[in-house]
Amino acid sequence: MIGFILADLRRLWAGSLVVVLLVALATALGVAVTLQERALRLGSARAADKFDLVIGAPGSETQLILSSIFLQPSPLPLMDGTVLPRLLADPRVASAAPVGFGDSFGGYPVVGTSTGLVHQLEVLAEGRVFAALGEAVAGSAVDLPIGYAVKPTHGLAERGGHAHTELAYRIVGRLEPTGTAWDRAILVPMQAVWALHGMEAESDADGRHDHADDLEHDHGHSHDEAASGAKAGHAPIDADAALNEDWGKVPPGLPAILVKPKSIADAYKLRQEYRDTETLAVFPGEVLTNLYATLGDAKRVLVAVTTGAQVLVAAAILLVTILHVGQRRRQIGALRAFGAPRRAVFVIVWSELFALIAAGVLIGFSLGFGAAKFIAGYLSGESGVAMPVVFAAGDGLLMSLILAFAAILAVLPAVLAYRQSPAAALRA
Amino acid sequence: MLGLQLQGIDIRFPGLAAPALAIESLTLAAGSRVALIGASGSGKSTLISILTGLERVGQGRILWDDVDICALSEGRRDRWRGANIGLVLQDFHLFPGLSALENVLLPASLSGAMARDIGARARDLLLRVGLTRPTQMIETMSRGEMQRVAIARALLRRPGVVIADEPTASLDSEAGAAVGELLLELSRESGCTLLVATHDLSLAQRLDRRIRLAGGRIVDDGPVLEQAA
Repeated sequence: MIGFILADLRRLWAGSLVVVLLVALATALGVAVTLQERALRLGSARAADKFDLVIGAPGSETQLILSSIFLQPSPLPLMDGTVLPRLLADPRVASAAPVGFGDSFGGYPVVGTSTGLVHQLEVLAEGRVFAALGEAVAGSAVDLPIGYAVKPTHGLAERGGHAHTELAYRIVGRLEPTGTAWDRAILVPMQAVWALHGMEAESDADGRHDHADDLEHDHGHSHDEAASGAKAGHAPIDADAALNEDWGKVPPGLPAILVKPKSIADAYKLRQEYRDTETLAVFPGEVLTNLYATLGDAKRVLVAVTTGAQVLVAAAILLVTILHVGQRRRQIGALRAFGAPRRAVFVIVWSELFALIAAGVLIGFSLGFGAAKFIAGYLSGESGVAMPVVFAAGDGLLMSLILAFAAILAVLPAVLAYRQSPAAALRA
Repeated sequence: MLGLQLQGIDIRFPGLAAPALAIESLTLAAGSRVALIGASGSGKSTLISILTGLERVGQGRILWDDVDICALSEGRRDRWRGANIGLVLQDFHLFPGLSALENVLLPASLSGAMARDIGARARDLLLRVGLTRPTQMIETMSRGEMQRVAIARALLRRPGVVIADEPTASLDSEAGAAVGELLLELSRESGCTLLVATHDLSLAQRLDRRIRLAGGRIVDDGPVLEQAA
């Protein structure tokens, strides 16, 4: 019987191929949408995992997360620099690191931070952490060799940012991959970023007021690219100056501080405490959850569209098979006439159709997986956030459901074939 | 070999005044060799359909030996037909994509009737009908060769009756004569009852008895007289 079924499928290879392709493409569409959505969710959740609590100036929570976790280039309001020494002195804080954005090099964000955060992110794959103002550590996805001189651009070059001529960073180390947007970042000392933007830390309290003005100025400067020339005349910065990570001196303003609390209870207390008129503390996971809740509707629309496509394909297949059984009436009649039991006819028609659909579903799952992998790879390359394309237990259930549905679908033409009068079929 | 007793058959199709087939009584002796003749539409195909159990009859009895096939369920009739009737049809109804041997074996394998020596018997039958390459694909064969494969298939399970419906009509005269000859020889060798519906007078002449149908009724029934015409 298997020989006969195979011969039959070989004979009708063109039609069979069309059915398999239709099923495969419809399945792939659904699988790709599901997997890609999951990859996006898992990827961004994992990317945010390394960051427990983010503190910034009051403003948009979403923007704070997008800028600090996903390094999206867009200006953040600055908060008072005294927040950092206050956090460092807090017994509930395991570590706190400043981050400063705004510069880029060749499409890679140049992020000012502390040596502590570098160690917190990942171990170094090669080289060492920065020890002087003019040194930098590259993320794993930054395609620049150790020793390369990075001349940062203020803003993004493609958006008309100007080059900082006062300082070139030398890459002295490289991180292992973290699967986060930080893989594409060039990490530099926070102090160098301040220096480049004319925001040296000052130890005397009197200087603080002037400094606030300067911050305001600089803040406006990052927004207003027309004013970009205004600061171009800074004196060169000593790239070899040793790094002083004593944040006790009142540091200039900061866009964000990444905080690692000692315990979960501490995390909640800190978040509570640092939500006031001066600062905004957020859990990245919480912000992402809110974001997904908003995106959930978009996902439902996508799922509805793919479901519609799949229903259409199911209908098309049903039509094809009913026509197909009609065309095969003579063959089926002959099988019966020569003594093949009706059961055999039923099994032949059913298994041919089921084999085609099952093959389509299996191919569709691999196609969808491949497509999701491809899209995720592309997105990861763009953002640095690793997108894990993985099957979940529910997908196995989904596949069994589709196959069960195919099995039921295949019964219809099989019953049609089964019920034909062989004499009438032979005369046809 | 099987003998036939048929009684009280009256088959009508809706909208037609004349019956498709109306036979009060017909008996075929076991091992007899009968030609069924008549114009197109005279009821030959309908008679073959009901004799083989492919079509149900509303009334009447069709007894092959002591089995009334009208009383069998559809599944049992299929099984009975597979085991007892060798069918040869005008259009061969062979299955492309399979070899000659696979075609001969297909009905038996689908009915789960693969005896141990059946493969050897299929090869013998193919040799007997003059085909030396059992693995040749069916679609590469000539029409005459295809009908020989069909004859081998009909005889595979040693049926008690061989029923042929216009076995030579779609062949040229030479191939038709050869196929007719094989049908006669092989049924004689196996001793089975043979019923051949045909327009082919030279084939009909070589059988023992001739039944002529017209308008669904038997209008002539008698022994074939040797070279009478």
